[in-house]
Amino acid sequence: MLKIQNLHAKVEDKTILKGLSLDIKPGEVHAIMGPNGAGKSTLGYVLSGRDGYEVTDGQVELNGQDLLEQETEERARAGLFLAFQYPVEIPGVSNMEFMKESVNAMREARGQEPLSAAEFLKKAKEACKQVHLPLDFLKRGVNEGFSGGEKKRNEIMQMILLEPTLCILDESDSGLDIDALQVVADGVNSQRSPERSFIVVTHYQRLLDYIKPDFVHILADGKIVKSGDASLALEVEKEGYAWLGEAQEAGA
Amino acid sequence: MSQWLEQIVERASHSQLNAIKQQALAALKQQRWPNRKTEAWRYTSVSPIEQLELGGQKDSQPQPSDITGLDSLDLLFIDGVLQQSLNNLVLPEGLMLQSLSQLDAQGQAVADDLFGKIKPAHHLFGLVNDLVAKQGLVVDVAPGVQIDKPLRIINLSSQGQESHLRLLVRLGDNARLCVIEQGEGQDPSLNTAFAEYSLGVRAHLEHYRLAMHTHKAIQVGGNHFRLQEKAQLNSTLVAYGSDLSRLDVDIEHAGEHAHAKFNAIYLLGSGETFDLHSCIEHAVPNGTTEENARGIVGDRAKAVFNGRIHIHRHAQKTLAELNNRNLLLSRRGQINTKPELEIYADDVKCAHGATVAEIEEKALYYLLSRGISRSQALIMLNFGFIQELINDMPNAALADWLQEQLKDKFSQMEVK
Amino acid sequence: MSEQIEQALARKYEAGFVSNVESETFAAGLDEEVIRKISAMKNEPQWLLEWRLKAFESWQKMEEPEWAHLHYAKIDYQAISYYSAPKSMKDKPKSLDEVDPELLRTYEKLGIPLYEQQMLAGVAVDAVFDSVSVVTTFREKLEEAGVIFCSISEAVHRFPDLVKKYLGSVVPRSDNYFAALNSAVFTDGSFVYIPKGVRSPMELSTYFRINEQNTGQFERTLIVADEGSYVSYLEGCTAPQRDENQLHAAVVELVALDNAKIKYSTVQNWYPGDENGKGGIYNFVTKRGICHTNAHISWTQVETGSAITWKYPSCILKGDNSVGEFYSVALARGKQQADTGTKMIHLGKNTKSTIISKGISAGDANNAYRGLVQMGPNAEGARNFTQCDSLLIGDQCGAHTFPYIESRNPSAIVEHEATTSKVSDEQMFLCQQRGLDPEKAVSMIVNGFCKEVFKELPMEFAVEAGKLLEISLEGSVG
Repeated sequence: MLKIQNLHAKVEDKTILKGLSLDIKPGEVHAIMGPNGAGKSTLGYVLSGRDGYEVTDGQVELNGQDLLEQETEERARAGLFLAFQYPVEIPGVSNMEFMKESVNAMREARGQEPLSAAEFLKKAKEACKQVHLPLDFLKRGVNEGFSGGEKKRNEIMQMILLEPTLCILDESDSGLDIDALQVVADGVNSQRSPERSFIVVTHYQRLLDYIKPDFVHILADGKIVKSGDASLALEVEKEGYAWLGEAQEAGA
Repeated sequence: MSQWLEQIVERASHSQLNAIKQQALAALKQQRWPNRKTEAWRYTSVSPIEQLELGGQKDSQPQPSDITGLDSLDLLFIDGVLQQSLNNLVLPEGLMLQSLSQLDAQGQAVADDLFGKIKPAHHLFGLVNDLVAKQGLVVDVAPGVQIDKPLRIINLSSQGQESHLRLLVRLGDNARLCVIEQGEGQDPSLNTAFAEYSLGVRAHLEHYRLAMHTHKAIQVGGNHFRLQEKAQLNSTLVAYGSDLSRLDVDIEHAGEHAHAKFNAIYLLGSGETFDLHSCIEHAVPNGTTEENARGIVGDRAKAVFNGRIHIHRHAQKTLAELNNRNLLLSRRGQINTKPELEIYADDVKCAHGATVAEIEEKALYYLLSRGISRSQALIMLNFGFIQELINDMPNAALADWLQEQLKDKFSQMEVK
Repeated sequence: MSEQIEQALARKYEAGFVSNVESETFAAGLDEEVIRKISAMKNEPQWLLEWRLKAFESWQKMEEPEWAHLHYAKIDYQAISYYSAPKSMKDKPKSLDEVDPELLRTYEKLGIPLYEQQMLAGVAVDAVFDSVSVVTTFREKLEEAGVIFCSISEAVHRFPDLVKKYLGSVVPRSDNYFAALNSAVFTDGSFVYIPKGVRSPMELSTYFRINEQNTGQFERTLIVADEGSYVSYLEGCTAPQRDENQLHAAVVELVALDNAKIKYSTVQNWYPGDENGKGGIYNFVTKRGICHTNAHISWTQVETGSAITWKYPSCILKGDNSVGEFYSVALARGKQQADTGTKMIHLGKNTKSTIISKGISAGDANNAYRGLVQMGPNAEGARNFTQCDSLLIGDQCGAHTFPYIESRNPSAIVEHEATTSKVSDEQMFLCQQRGLDPEKAVSMIVNGFCKEVFKELPMEFAVEAGKLLEISLEGSVG
């Protein structure tokens, strides 16, 4: 499904990703862990095509298509979804209007008819309930005045509505209490299927208690330095990331 | 002085004038025709008035727009002439409505109470209107009377015509009224439309001014409000621009504990000019004012905003906030904004802010990352900028209609 | 409570003494002859005389501006003397030992000893007394580094090419009414040139003193920072306590060539007049700098003196990526009136400007911020941030904000915010409850309010500015 080879990327002349490779098959859940500044958020931005993130080397294929050739919105329509760590507030644009535009853009890309207002409202209400958000959130401005937890749940609600094939969750657990974490995790788990893959980016192992990964990768200094199964996350939990420095120094 | 104004002054000098018109004439004779050094006209040229050619044949009768779901009492003026008789109107009890050109004693008393008394004397075109306005309406709501049906006053300008309309509205103590002033036109024409509103103790006025003149239709007008104790004003302005479109809004807190809310939206298409000058006078303590003006300025368009808040000595405990935000869509457009504070009392909370900005990269990226096309995302974000003020309008039917109108206009504008 | 604040604001002007110096002063009045005489006294080249005369010609056709939020009796330009210099300066003393001791004592009393060994290390001073420069210290040390720091009269003779090239290049001679007057009659001032790549080894400063009666001071400062150089320049001003109003109309021009940085700081403490508004300096000053590519000009001003202040230190951000800054504290009390602010003209791409203005009004004073931020059509990606805060002390004063914003580029971002506040009873109560007397409390609150600006001042000046506010706010509390 997603094939990343030797990805190098820079932001404002600073190279952040330095040869990252990753292969994800349909239905798999990959966790990416790593210390602050390792490039975890950058990976999501580069894959989704944010302005200012420049790919200097490497290839990325999504479902056999060259991802890096595409515009941000084309990548989204190709099935890539990024749940933001800090979703932006957009006053004046209602959540409802925003998501309806978005859902119908996806449907159009998939060759489906756009949803009518009534059909969309029905779906939106269901999704809203699923992530425990009150219905009036649909009428409010996008993320406007939402708490940190509400913003994260709003991201998951969008994921549910947009039905992507590859979901990148960027620290969807940060700043959440245990109840909110459970809601987010339930939302994600409800979307797991043999066709849909996930990249779960997190600093802590905690989220992985709720969303069981098939693989865990450690990202440090722009590269994946270690891969393993779920037990690797537990190891990190115990040891922290300090050993990375030693390992690298020893290697250098 | 322009030829146009000279003729007006010349004509008036040979007419019989009442006291207020004589005053206006004397004041006009003292006035200088504005140029770039005239602070009130620093950014807006009055040369379109000098170049305007009036007269000629009207080709068709303009039609007022229909606002779905708006249950209002409509009064239609075309080129400043009332198109209906007020004699057989059935009016709710406590509402007096008379044509300015046909006042009875009661109407005359209201007119005398208001005409030129609320509008400050320094507006050049206000003085012109004082001098030559013969048409208009006088409205009086008796104390304690609540009028539910909005009063919609439509003023259409057609080709080659010059018109001067005056509206005088008095709300007695505890009275309540909604007034919609709607101006439209696009052919070469010139209209001045000034309105004076007096709000009694605890009176409540919901007010809209839709200044939707475009292209060659020149409009210069004003809305002037005086608020007595605990009165409430909620006014919304929606403006397009034309070769010259200018509005002066004055709100005077004359009684304590009054509240004024003023929202303004301006959406300027290609080549349009709109100039809004607002002035809030806090003459007494304990008043509150919230003013929000937002504008989107397209190609070769020019927006001018001058928002003044004046806190007089002793007007302690005033709360006044003014915010002006602008979006410029083209490097051939221009925005000139000047929020002014003039404060003579220390125990007050006053703030103003003004921004000129482009769409935030983060917000655009967020929409793109959800598969929305760049052009659609720009429209949503730009429009979202004024959507907040549309959502804030108390009259839902009007808000829906305006939303459609604005969206329609906006979709024709080029977003870079 | 507010009464206590009022009393805490009772004025005291420490620089109000008169020096007993014998001077040669022109008779009052202004005509072409006076200008020729000034030029002749200075033995000026013909081009400069012509330049002055052209400025005078323009000035006569101009009208005194009335747009500022200032009210004062019309200035009688024929009642002012346009030149006054201590007689002892006639023979141009070669060293400090030849300078009239009374002059040296004057500066000592103002806390500016002119003997290098007594001075703050690292600050060179040009002392201007009425119409002439008395002395410029540390010249040798500066010249070793290639830095030129002398009076502008001297520069006209020693560096004619530099002066000719840059004089009037930023503030044209008929730029505005007061600048035109200055161009016609300027008598002295400072000249600074920092060569390519040089960082001035010390802070440069000029102290302006008006002493003589019925005279105006018209000084002209020109600072040129060549490519990649850096200089920090300070300016201070005082005058005796007199019943008449005296005119001060200065022009300052800054040129920051590619990659250069100029930091210009002012502590203005001209005599503000008495509590009834009698006397005091009318301060009409034009200050402007031009920034070439990647250059940076920073204006910091602490304005506590003058009966009238009319002053807008500005930046023309001509070069791409250039930066302009304006940090201002303006304190007006008694009957003082201030109308001050800045202009930031963004012409180049990615130019940035910051404006922080703190206005304090007390007594019967009026204090206005007036500013212009202009984004030209080519100012791609330009940014401005403006914050204007006003503090009102007492209910008889006024605080005003007149910001003009003009944008012609869709990618430029301008943000302007203004707020107003008072010294609240709660703040006063808290301070007093913690044992501070009301004077100290007010001065602490005001100092806190100004902190963002004070931190921009060079160390020596920050201390002085803080003290100046304290003196201004000091008084007997009942």
